[in-house]
Amino acid sequence: MERSWYWRVGLIVAVALLSVYELVPSWFYFKLPPAERNGDAYDRSVPHWAPDAKRHLNLGLDLQGGIHLAMGVDVDRAVKAKVARRADEIADYLKSKSVPFTSAGTAVGGTQVEIQSPSPGEVKTTVLEGRGYADEMYAPGGAPDGAVRFAFKDRVISDFKAKSVEQAEKIIRNRVDAWGVSEPDIKRKANNQIQIQLPGFKDPEKAKELLGRTAQLEFKITDDENPALDPIRNQLPQCPGTRAGLTLPLPEGGCWTGEPVELPSGSSRVVTMVAANTRPELEKVIQAKLQPLIDPQKNAVAIGKVDVAASAVKVSYYRTYLLRAKTELTGDYIADARAGIDQSGGISQGQPLVLFNMSPEGARRMEKLTTENMRRRMATVLEDNVETAPYIQGRISSSGQITLGRGRSQQEMFEEANDIARVLKAGALPAPVTITEERTVGPTLGPELVKKGTSAALVGLALVLLFMVAYYRASGLIADLALVLNGLLVLAIMSMIGSTLTLPGIAGFVLTLGMAVDANVLINERIREELRAGRTVRQSVQQGYEKVFWTIVDAHVTTLVAGVVLMQYGSGPVRGFAVTLIIGLVASMFTSIVVTRAIMEYFTRHESARLSV
Amino acid sequence: MQFKSFDIVPHGTKIDFVGKRHIAVVLSLIVNLAVIVWSLPFVHGLNLGVDFAGGTEMEIKFGKAVDPGQVRRTVEELGFKGASVQTYGPEQEHSYLIRVERITLLTEAEVARVVDAVKAKFPVDSSSFNPEIGDKIDFQFKQPPTPAELRAAVEATGVKVREVREEQGLAAGSRSFAVITQGIQEKVGTGLVAHFAEAAPEVRRVEYVGPAVGRELQAQGFKAILYAMALIVVYVGLRFDFRFSPGVIIALIHDAVVTLGYFAFSGREFNLTSIAVILTVVGYSVNDTVVVYDRIRENQGKLRGRSLGEIVNLSINEVLGRTFLTSFATALSLVGLLIFGVGTIFDFSMAMMVGIVSGTYSTWFIAAPMTIWLEERAARKKAAAAAAPVQPAQARTAGK
Repeated sequence: MERSWYWRVGLIVAVALLSVYELVPSWFYFKLPPAERNGDAYDRSVPHWAPDAKRHLNLGLDLQGGIHLAMGVDVDRAVKAKVARRADEIADYLKSKSVPFTSAGTAVGGTQVEIQSPSPGEVKTTVLEGRGYADEMYAPGGAPDGAVRFAFKDRVISDFKAKSVEQAEKIIRNRVDAWGVSEPDIKRKANNQIQIQLPGFKDPEKAKELLGRTAQLEFKITDDENPALDPIRNQLPQCPGTRAGLTLPLPEGGCWTGEPVELPSGSSRVVTMVAANTRPELEKVIQAKLQPLIDPQKNAVAIGKVDVAASAVKVSYYRTYLLRAKTELTGDYIADARAGIDQSGGISQGQPLVLFNMSPEGARRMEKLTTENMRRRMATVLEDNVETAPYIQGRISSSGQITLGRGRSQQEMFEEANDIARVLKAGALPAPVTITEERTVGPTLGPELVKKGTSAALVGLALVLLFMVAYYRASGLIADLALVLNGLLVLAIMSMIGSTLTLPGIAGFVLTLGMAVDANVLINERIREELRAGRTVRQSVQQGYEKVFWTIVDAHVTTLVAGVVLMQYGSGPVRGFAVTLIIGLVASMFTSIVVTRAIMEYFTRHESARLSV
Repeated sequence: MQFKSFDIVPHGTKIDFVGKRHIAVVLSLIVNLAVIVWSLPFVHGLNLGVDFAGGTEMEIKFGKAVDPGQVRRTVEELGFKGASVQTYGPEQEHSYLIRVERITLLTEAEVARVVDAVKAKFPVDSSSFNPEIGDKIDFQFKQPPTPAELRAAVEATGVKVREVREEQGLAAGSRSFAVITQGIQEKVGTGLVAHFAEAAPEVRRVEYVGPAVGRELQAQGFKAILYAMALIVVYVGLRFDFRFSPGVIIALIHDAVVTLGYFAFSGREFNLTSIAVILTVVGYSVNDTVVVYDRIRENQGKLRGRSLGEIVNLSINEVLGRTFLTSFATALSLVGLLIFGVGTIFDFSMAMMVGIVSGTYSTWFIAAPMTIWLEERAARKKAAAAAAPVQPAQARTAGK
């Protein structure tokens, strides 16, 4: 035999062995009774020499059920945010039209815009006659003297609510997709709820955490020159500790401390901040003592968590930041986000962080923001928590980073960074969601249907195998052997990427095997044709493979093109289907061309070889 | 010959595919148009399943263990289609989540009657009813009645009310109520009691669930199919000849439409699996076409001087056996599913079977003969412009 033949046989044997090896976790997964599969029993049963226990074939919702979550979308809060945004817009608009007004805010529980002005009549006509506001808003009246109120029309509100839920559904779907859970079932229900079923899911806590995150990212500028919070020094005790770090635990009910900051003018100032042991405690202090000191139109007090890497025990406290009320930029402008490692060479060198890229519009805004606020601090507020507030040292435009609180293991921080990147990329939820229901659910198909379906698929497979042997004899047997290897290979790759098998998926798998055998039909037919033309068996086999090679490649590539496009554009089940198709095609090219050829060449190695085809 | 083998399609078969292409094209056009027209929503439409149209979901608790298969059959016997039954919560609770295709029991006439009755009694601002959402009528009032008053007014018309839910209208001054009528819940409840009296079934809630595939996802999927087709055509053009591309694209659309025809004419549920079938057909049907094109290219090199029509006919006949056998082998894998498969799985295999047959047919009668039609058209154009000295289209006839 030629030297290359030995190489090819070596490759085939290696691929076969690797496939069997990769199927080990799936083997142990399906060996367990269904009730124990998704628990610790499985993790324990996988031997230590096997591949990662997470990489096994999954069964879809129709075959094994999973967890069921109902999430309520807080649309009222989304509406309030919309009203607040509209108040800002109207203020800008009035300014541009030089209509005098003293303040623009919300009223009636945040559901209406209230503009205070010396000439409310003028405000009313300007707003309702300009810029198409009248399409969406009207002046309901009931405003105190010297003010005018605007409310959204009912139709606008109900459209907006429906859209918020739709948007939330889309984002949840993106997150589930990004997370790699295939074949989820996501549906909208009445009452602004979204229902999610995840197949055989093991980690409901993680699911809830990831799906429930609002991922609202905001950039705000700290108001360090503002002395508004200084009077608190007379009301609260001073925090114990030094400038380098506070001594924990902090006194009950919060305490104040001075934070030296540099101002853009070049001077420095000791800014007052309040710290407490827990977030609710600090929230209470802010509500009771700090809120009266500030002007809510201009400033906001935000909370940040400070992790103290003191010892093996994780300790942290919470502190305030005095920010300008205006949200300068939001995460809506983020085009891409990923976890990375800090390369800055600063104190957090080597720490995991989140890197993000802005969309072109976001980059423009970010550039403007950083230019205007050079050498001030910019707070990155993620889900109402100030993650960092570094000084703006230079102009930032298209890319940025979020450093994370420290004091945790590298592994934990990296996972956190990954989670944040994932949710930032998938988009922010337009409104907070709450999990209203959590249950386990059984398979959507009864066991009798599952049994019938799988055995029917096996009948088809058996028929294909029989047909090949009956029609092509020995050559058919070789094709069958390749087909079995093909099936093994497809299952191994699917289990490596943790694919989910549904009943239609199993039918599709059998179908791909039926298609894989097509290549061998083409080859064998060509060999027959060459034999009819009077060539020897050895020549015919040689010619058969060589001439049909490009036909098979073309046929596979066209289908592959379809598969790749579908994977790019599709979501959920369409994507799962595309992945299976691609794996099947690649495996089929290998087994039908390389594997059968190596075997055929072995049997026709002598000039006088005979072959039944 | 040194061994015994038989050919399903005898060697040397000569069928005049090219000559019959006019009949085939007319036949295919009629079938395709019929499918498209029949699938239009205002003509007949597809029977959209829960995945696309949304559905109704109910939670039912039984007093003791029941057979979920029996529950599913009972619900389907009550006239609800496409029921799926899932255990809900731990098994010992005997709770089930039953999902059926969307169903509205309220008729437009009943809704009109209810709205008129309420308008006669209270100052109704506006009212709305959406059959997509189910048995729910929304009312908005300036001066709202109490929920009990509203319920009484609606029930006076003979429509039973399950719940009157107040929905806070954010616009100042107006209040809105959703009146949810009884119907599905009662029907399922009594139906199940009749079958499972001793297990004491209790219908805990009935609600509308939206589609798993929203409009946006549908649009995305549709776009993906178009892009895939476009790229396949470009690939075939680059590998063979761009004169072959129109044949491929027409054959692809033909096969997708014929497969859709299975769902349109049989009235079977059209769901996500159906989409997967159509995608598979698009990917698969081009395979046979590639085999024929490959042979045409090979023969063009060997048989110079023959007309394209002859070459195409010869090529189809030469590879007739293998285009038939490949489809046959793939179809074989579906036989088990066709005989023993139920529900979605049966539809999957039946539609796929239709697609495979259509794919082979379109290869023989549509894709390859199409190239000749284009060739003839080009020739006629050339004849028309006979005076012109340059022959731009002729340069690539050798097909290499």
